[in-house]
Amino acid sequence: MKTKNTIAAGLLLFGAILVLSPVQIQAQKSFSDPQFKVKIDFNRWHDVNELYDDMGRLAKAYPNFLKLESIGKSFDGRDIKVMTINNPETGAEMSKAAMYIDANIHGNEIQGGEVCLYTIWYLMENYGRIDEVTRLVNERVFYILPTVNPDGRQHFMEKDGGNARSGHVPVDEDNDGLYEEDGPNDLNGNGMIESIRKYVPGQGNYRISLIDKRVMEPVGFGEKGDYILLGEEGIDDDGDGRINEDDLGSYDPNRNWAIDWQPNYVQGGAMEYPFQLPEAKAVNDFMMAHPNIAGVQAYHNSGGMILRGPGAESMGEYPASDVRAYDELGNNGARILPFYRYIVLWSGLYTVHGGFIDWTSDGLGIISFSNELWNSSQYFNSPDLIKQTEDANSPISRQRGRYFFDDKLEFSDQYVEWKEFDHPVYGKVEIGGEWKKFMGRIPPRFMNEELCHRNMAFTLYQADEMPMIKVGETRVKKVSDDVYRVWIDFTNSKVAPTITGRAAQNNVVRPDLITLDGKVSIISASWINSKETFDYLNPITEMIDQKQLNRLIIRNGHPGKTTRTLQYLVKGSGKIAVTYDSVKGGKVSTTVELK
Amino acid sequence: MLNFLLKPKKEEIVTFSKPTSICRLLRTGLLTAILATFCMIQPGYSQSSGGYMTYDQLTQAVKALADANKGLATIESIGKTAEGRDLWLLTIAGKGGIPVAQRQGLLIAANFEGDHLAGSTLALEATRYLLGSYATDDAVKKSIDNYVYYVMPRMNPDGAEAFFSKVKVGRKSNSTAFDADNDGRFDEDGPDDLNNDGQITVFRVKDANGLYRIDPDEPMLMKRADAAKGERGEYSIYPEGIDNDKDGFINEDPAGGIDINRNFMHAYPYFKENAGKYMVSEPETRAMMEWIIDHRNIAMVLTFGESDNLIVPPTSRGALSSDRPLDLVQFAEATKSGAGRVGMVTTGGRGGFERFMMMGGGGGEFMRGGQTATTAASARSQRPAQTAATTINTSDLEYYTKASEKYKELTGIKTQPVLRNPEGAFFQYAYFQFGVPAFSTPGWGIILPADTARRGMRPGGARTAGNDAGAAANPPAGNFAGGGQGRSMQGMGGAAGAMQAGATSEGASQAPGIDASWLKYLNANNPQGFVKWQPVKHPEYGDVEVGGFAPNDIANPPADKLGELGANHGKFAVYLTSLYAQVKVDKTEVINEGGGLFRIRAEVANEGFLPTAMRQGVQSRSVKPTMVQLGVKPEQIMSGSSKTSFFQALDGSGRRVKYEWLIKGKAGDKIDLKVVSQKAGADTAVITLK
Repeated sequence: MKTKNTIAAGLLLFGAILVLSPVQIQAQKSFSDPQFKVKIDFNRWHDVNELYDDMGRLAKAYPNFLKLESIGKSFDGRDIKVMTINNPETGAEMSKAAMYIDANIHGNEIQGGEVCLYTIWYLMENYGRIDEVTRLVNERVFYILPTVNPDGRQHFMEKDGGNARSGHVPVDEDNDGLYEEDGPNDLNGNGMIESIRKYVPGQGNYRISLIDKRVMEPVGFGEKGDYILLGEEGIDDDGDGRINEDDLGSYDPNRNWAIDWQPNYVQGGAMEYPFQLPEAKAVNDFMMAHPNIAGVQAYHNSGGMILRGPGAESMGEYPASDVRAYDELGNNGARILPFYRYIVLWSGLYTVHGGFIDWTSDGLGIISFSNELWNSSQYFNSPDLIKQTEDANSPISRQRGRYFFDDKLEFSDQYVEWKEFDHPVYGKVEIGGEWKKFMGRIPPRFMNEELCHRNMAFTLYQADEMPMIKVGETRVKKVSDDVYRVWIDFTNSKVAPTITGRAAQNNVVRPDLITLDGKVSIISASWINSKETFDYLNPITEMIDQKQLNRLIIRNGHPGKTTRTLQYLVKGSGKIAVTYDSVKGGKVSTTVELK
Repeated sequence: MLNFLLKPKKEEIVTFSKPTSICRLLRTGLLTAILATFCMIQPGYSQSSGGYMTYDQLTQAVKALADANKGLATIESIGKTAEGRDLWLLTIAGKGGIPVAQRQGLLIAANFEGDHLAGSTLALEATRYLLGSYATDDAVKKSIDNYVYYVMPRMNPDGAEAFFSKVKVGRKSNSTAFDADNDGRFDEDGPDDLNNDGQITVFRVKDANGLYRIDPDEPMLMKRADAAKGERGEYSIYPEGIDNDKDGFINEDPAGGIDINRNFMHAYPYFKENAGKYMVSEPETRAMMEWIIDHRNIAMVLTFGESDNLIVPPTSRGALSSDRPLDLVQFAEATKSGAGRVGMVTTGGRGGFERFMMMGGGGGEFMRGGQTATTAASARSQRPAQTAATTINTSDLEYYTKASEKYKELTGIKTQPVLRNPEGAFFQYAYFQFGVPAFSTPGWGIILPADTARRGMRPGGARTAGNDAGAAANPPAGNFAGGGQGRSMQGMGGAAGAMQAGATSEGASQAPGIDASWLKYLNANNPQGFVKWQPVKHPEYGDVEVGGFAPNDIANPPADKLGELGANHGKFAVYLTSLYAQVKVDKTEVINEGGGLFRIRAEVANEGFLPTAMRQGVQSRSVKPTMVQLGVKPEQIMSGSSKTSFFQALDGSGRRVKYEWLIKGKAGDKIDLKVVSQKAGADTAVITLK
C-alpha cells in the first residue's frame, strides 16, 4: 500500500507539474509587469549631471540602438548632449526620417528634460515587448536633447530658481559697464531668495490676509497695517544705489533664431544677431547637418498648450495643406493630453519673433510643435473640483487652492514660512513667505510620470506620422514593339507630406527626386490623375515639362495621405529601376520588367 | 601698376616733402614745370596708382602700411573666409591719451560685394592719406590722436579674388558652397564664355516670342517691347552661357555662394538666392558681427559699396535713393528666376491633401488653424506689435544731409553710377540696429551731369502697385513681412505668385535702367566697358549675338582713373570725426550748507556736433544712455539726483543737463563726478568740498 501511495503521489506530482508548468511558464512571459533593465526615478527632478548620468546608463544598457554625444558647449562650458536612437539593422540613420525632441531652452522649464529621459527609457525598455514600439524604433530615428540650456538648468537647480530662464552670456543690464555685478543675495543661506517683511505695528502698509495667514496684502485707503514689505533678499553689491539690478543673463534664448529675428527694441531679449548664443548655434549646426529631421518637439512650461507657429501675425498663416496636417496632429494631441489646448502661437498665446519653432518650420521646413507642460487646472483635475475653484468661498478657491493642495497633498513641503532674521541694513525682519521654486510651473513630483508619458505619447504619435514613401502597384503595358507604358504608384500614408507647403514656398528642402535607370530612352513622363478610370475616361495627362526625364525634380514633394501614379513612356527593353529619393520621406526603389 | 607696391616708408615721405623747399628755389623758374606737379600732391602723402589688388597684393600693402607706421597703425585679422583668407583690420590711433577702446571710433569698411574692388582701393588709399598726412596736417593729427579709425579694406576677399579669374563674371558672392537652384546639385551650371573674350556678358537671339527689341535710339542697347504701343518683341536675352545641367535655365547655379551685403539683419531678403540660408550665416558676416558688438565705441560707419546715401542723401521721408540698375543685365537675370521653382506638382494625387500645395491660404483667405484658437485671450494679451523702423528717423536726417553736402564738396562726385538697393546691407544694420550714422558710397561717380535715364517697363510682368518709375525704392519692411514676398499673397495666384515667391536673382529692381547714360559714360571714359555685339554659334539657340556691359566695369572705373579720390575720402573721414559728440563736465559749484551738508551743482554738456545718440540709437535701444555718477556712497545723498543717473541723448553744440545733489560730507573731501558715454567719450571732474 505504501508503494501504491508513493506511486500515486508521484504520479499526481508529475501530473501536477505537467499541468501547472506551462501555466507558470506563460505567467513569466506574457502580460505581467515587465522587469525594467535600467531603473530611473521619474518622481524627482534631475540636474544636468544626473540627467547625463542616467543617459549614460541607458546608452550602456542599449548600445545597439543608442549613441550619446555632445553637439557643443554652452557658454559656461557644459556639454549639450544628444541621444540618437537608431536601429542600424533596419537601415542607415540618414536614410530614415528623424524626430527631433528637445527641452529646457528656458533654464527654469525643467520638466521637459524629464520627458526626454522618459522617452528614451520607455522606447528602449519596451522594444521587443510591444510591437508598435518595436516598429517605431525600427522605422525611424530619434534625436533627443533633454537640455539645450544646461547653464540655465543647473542654475535653476543649484541656486534659488530665480532668473534661470536665460542663459549665461553676460549682458550689462544696468549700463554701467560692468557685467552681472549685482544679483540677488541669499542672506539667510537657505538656497532661496525670499521676500522680506518687517513687523512695524501700526506703522505699516501691509497686513496678513484673512484668506490665509501666509498671504500678505496691502491695506485699504486710510488704513494702517502692521507690516511693511522690503522687497527681495539682496544688497547693493556694486554700491550704485540700486539693489539686484544686474543679475546673470537676462536675454531670452528662445528669441535668437533666424526666422523673423528682430532686434531688441522690437523683440526684447533677442541678443545682437541670430545664433549668436553658443547653444543656439550648436543646435542649429546639428539640425542643418541632419536634414532627415522631419518632426520637431520643443518642451517648455507651462500652461497646458500644444503650440504651433507662426509666431507673429505678419508672417502669414501656413499654407492650407500644412494647416490640415497640423490640425490633425494637434487635435488628436489635445485628446492625448487633457488640459492642453492646441493653439497658434501669435493668436492664442503671444507674439514671438525669432522663436525656435518658427525657425525649424520656415527655415528648415519641419513640422514643429512646442508643448507648454503642466496646467494649473491639473491641481484639481475633475470637472466638479474645477467648478469649486471658481467659488470664492471654497477652500480650494483660486486664492486658496494652492495652499490647500500643498497642505493636503504635499504636506506643506513647498511653502517656506516666515522666519526671523537679522538683516545687515534693515535690522530685525522676517524672511520667507515664498513658494519653493518647484511650485507653480512644475508639476508636483507625484504627477510627473503621467505628464511624461502623455507628452511622450503625443510626440511618438507625431513621429509615427512623419512622411514615409512606399512603392505601390506597378503596371507595364506594351504600346508597340519596343515602346512601353509603365505605371508606378507612390504612396505616403502618413499625415505629414515629404515637403511641407512652407518648405516649398521658401525652397529650403532639397526637392524629391525620381530617377530611372535602364537601357531605355524616356519619351515622356507624367502624373496620372486617376488610374482606376483611366481606360474609360481617357483623361489627358500633362507631360512633366523637365528636360532630364531620368531625373525628375518634385519641388513640392509628396503630400500626406496620398497615392500618386507616375507614368513613363519608354522605348527600350529589359529591366528598369525607378527610385524615389526624398530627404525626409525616405528612399524606395522598384524594378520593373518591360514586357 | 606697381607703384602701390612701394612701401611708403618714412624716408620716402621725407623725400616728398623736400620739394617744397625746392619749390621756393624754383620761383626762379628753373624746374617749375616738372616739380609743380610734385608740389600739388599732398606733401607727405604718396599716392599709389595702378590696378586693383589681388588678395596677396592687398595683404602685402596693409602689412607694409602697418610696418611703416608702427606708432599709429596696428594690423590684425578679425576672421577667416571659407577659403582661408583673412579679413584684415587696420586700427589707426595715436599713442597715449585716452585708451583706444574708449575713444570715438570711425569704422571704414569696403568690398563686401565681391566685384567692388574700387572700394578696397579707396579704403586703402584713404588710410594711406591719413597716415601720410599725420605729421604735416593738424586736423589729421588731432583726429588720430584723439579718436580711432578702424579700416577693413576687404570684407569679401574670396569674392574679390574672382575678379581676377581668367573669365570675368562680375561675381559678388563669397565661396560658401551653395545650391542656388536647390536641385540637389552644386554649382552645376555656371557661365560659359561663348565668344572667348574673357568676359561674361549676355547674348541675344531672334525670338518671335521674345520680350525685347533693339533700342531705336541707341542700337547697342535693348529695351522691352511695349505691346500697348504696338511694339513687337523680337529678341530674347540670356546670360552668356549654356544650359549645362539641362534644366531649362542658363547659369542659374554658378560657382560661388552668398552675397555678404545681403546677409546682414536689416531688411534681410529672406530666401532670395544669394542672401544665404539665414541672416549672418556667413563667416564674413559673423566675424563682423562678433567684432562690432565688442566695439561699441564706434560712433560712425563709412562703407564703400554698391548702394549710396552720400552722393544722394536720404529723402525727406528718410528713404534712400532709388536703385540704378542696368536693364540689359536685368533682362538676362530675369530668365533665371524660375530655376528654383522647377518641378512643382499640382495634380495627380488621390487623397486628402493635394490641393493648395503651393500658395498660402487658397486665394488669399486667411485661414486660422486650430479650431481651439482663443482669440479672446489674444486680444487681452497682445500689446500693439512694435515693428522695426525702415526709414531714417526725421531727427537724424539733417546729419545725413550735411554729410552729403560735404562729401560732394570734398570728392567732386556728382552723379551716382550703377547702384542696387541695400536689403541686408551692412551699413543699414549699422544705422537701424547698431544705432550710429552710417554711410555708404560707391566711391566714384559718372562724370556726366544729370542722369538721362529712360523710363521703361521692368521685366517679370506687370507693374506692381505703387511702382512708378523713379519712385523711392523704400527698403522692404524691416520685419519679416518683406513687402509681400512669398507671404500672404494678396490675391496673386499661380505662376505670377511663384515668380514672386521663388528665388529671384539679385532681387529684380523696380527702378528704371540707366543703360543709356551708362553707355555714354563708358564710351567717353572706358570703352572696354561695353562689349560690342558679335555673332556666335550657340549649341542650343543657333545663331546668337554676344555683347553687353563688361561685368567688372559695372561697379568699378578703370583703376587709374581713381585719381585723387582716395585722398579725398581720407579728408572726408577726417571731416566725419570732427562731428563726434563729446561730453564734458562743465560749471561745477559747491555750496556749504552747514552741518556737514554740501550742495553740489554741475552741468554736463555736449561740446561736439552730433547728439550723444542718434534718435534711431535711442529708439533701437542699441546706444546706451550716458551715465552720470557722483563718487559718494548712496547713503550720503540726502536729496537731489541719485548717485547714478542716465540720460538717453543730448544734442550737441553745448546743450547741457543740470544736476544737483545735497550730500553729507566733510570739508576737504575730493569727489569724482564721472560722465561716461558710449559714443561721446567720457569726462571726469574732481570736486573738492569746502
